Amino acid sequence: MMRRHWIMPALNILLLLIGLAFIFPVFYSVMTSLRAPGYGLSADIIPDSFYWGNYARLWSYGRFPRYILNSIIDALGGALLTCIAAAPAAYALARLHFKGRDPILWLILGMMMIPGLTNLIPLYKLASDLKLLSTYTIMILVFGAYGVPLGVWIMKGFFESIPRELEEAAAIDGATPFQTFLRIVVPISAPGLTATFLINFVYNWNNFITPLILISKTIMKTATVGLFDFQHALEGNQDELLAAACVVIMVPAIALFVTLRRYFLQGMIEGAVKG
Amino acid sequence: MYVVTEKTRARGWTRIFQQRSNQLYPYFLLAPALVLIGAVSLYPTLYSFYLALTSVRKGVMVFVGLDNFATILASRQFWHSLQLTLIFGAFYITLTMLISFILALIFNRGLSLGGLCMTLIFIPWVLSEITSGVMWRWMFYRDYGVLQRLIGPLFGNVTLIATPAGAMGIVTAASVWRSTAFTMLLLLAGLQTIPKEVYEAASIDGATKWQAFWKVTWPLLRPTTLVTVVFLSIQVVNAVGMFLAITEGGPGNATEVLPLHMYREAIQYFHFGYGAALSVIMFLINAVLAVVYIRALRSESVWS
Repeated sequence: MMRRHWIMPALNILLLLIGLAFIFPVFYSVMTSLRAPGYGLSADIIPDSFYWGNYARLWSYGRFPRYILNSIIDALGGALLTCIAAAPAAYALARLHFKGRDPILWLILGMMMIPGLTNLIPLYKLASDLKLLSTYTIMILVFGAYGVPLGVWIMKGFFESIPRELEEAAAIDGATPFQTFLRIVVPISAPGLTATFLINFVYNWNNFITPLILISKTIMKTATVGLFDFQHALEGNQDELLAAACVVIMVPAIALFVTLRRYFLQGMIEGAVKG
Repeated sequence: MYVVTEKTRARGWTRIFQQRSNQLYPYFLLAPALVLIGAVSLYPTLYSFYLALTSVRKGVMVFVGLDNFATILASRQFWHSLQLTLIFGAFYITLTMLISFILALIFNRGLSLGGLCMTLIFIPWVLSEITSGVMWRWMFYRDYGVLQRLIGPLFGNVTLIATPAGAMGIVTAASVWRSTAFTMLLLLAGLQTIPKEVYEAASIDGATKWQAFWKVTWPLLRPTTLVTVVFLSIQVVNAVGMFLAITEGGPGNATEVLPLHMYREAIQYFHFGYGAALSVIMFLINAVLAVVYIRALRSESVWS
């Protein structure tokens, strides 16, 4: 084994190089966003001097600030709605025995496996009939619903890990089941709720195809749909501005992931492999 | 049976009242989730089955039976799109599995830089498809693209994104780049459930590392692999974001995969009945895959 001393350092270096290669596109857009107007794409990766003005230009370009605001409202509203709907449902499925429990569990698991893409067309038609296209209402409802299956799965796993004695003690003290749920179960499930909220917030923030289909009014577009328009308008002539928009959209998701990584990883594993 | 109710000694009508409300209590907790899923997922899915049987003729929606499905099956674009989806799927799944598997084996050794590198590799996964698309287009931009300059010379200096195979290759690479971390995490979770004792036993029996891999790791990881492949297949059937962001189906219709074909027909040309029929077909493919997925999780999974 002695002669294999070099293996671990070598693997570390290899892994670090792979990691750096993975984030190269991100690095490249940050660098591009720091080029002076008109100097967009270049074969040199790092610019000679850093020009920060593109972020100020972005502030007054098109309706970019409004797109960001819309993204925040839709993503935040959707993730909150998911938490509010998923937590009680997960509790019922984790703790209570009732008629129809198994079919409901299968339904939710099935919904988790099937992406929402195939019902976007009927959803577009329904939203259009109900005059809900291009509204916060439809986006929050749809994002909220999309998150429910994964949210139920994460929270269910969490509730199952809480000892029953806590709830029994609360009941003996005279708390109703719902009070027990709100005052005892929900507070100790904060990590599960945080994971549910964070994962869904980032999914919603990044979602591109859903708002592309359900939003047609410019003023209601999300940042991702706005970026799609910018791509058509700016690529090849103002790439530095397009890059700045990319960076502004990427930063919140990356920052949340890097600082709160364990919530993301735990929640995702829960959702994908604990059938 | 709700444990708490057994312990509260209510009598007479209060007891009956409590039992009633306790019977309804689970449904009360489930209601918000079920209403949301019903309104946004279930009802639209059923509605798409109905829409698929209709068509708009002279501004009026009429019932046309299975006409849309007949049109789809007779359409060259449908078969072309299906073929593209299968080609994309074959390369995307093989490459993602291969890279993720190697990475999972490396991460499983518990390297000192493991945490940092895991974060780096996961970053593409927290990016939007459209941001990823913009960035990958840049890397293959005709004159300045970093990867175009690197790889272009190998293919006679053609602008890769402008050729059918090149465009498909770029979207595939970008999709693999985005999916690798998550797939790796699934495989790593599988690897970590294999007890160390099994390897110790194998090495006592005189197995080499190579033998230990093929005789221990691989068979024990097969259920995880199956689950992961089905998971990726579902991604393939629904892959539309990266195609829209990188090629928009082009050049020509060389990358117009099935979901993109559906999007174009329904949203750009307003052929709702035809688009809905396509989405019904895709839903059925998804449903079959979901059943396989759940079965794989339930019956073979080392976690359950």
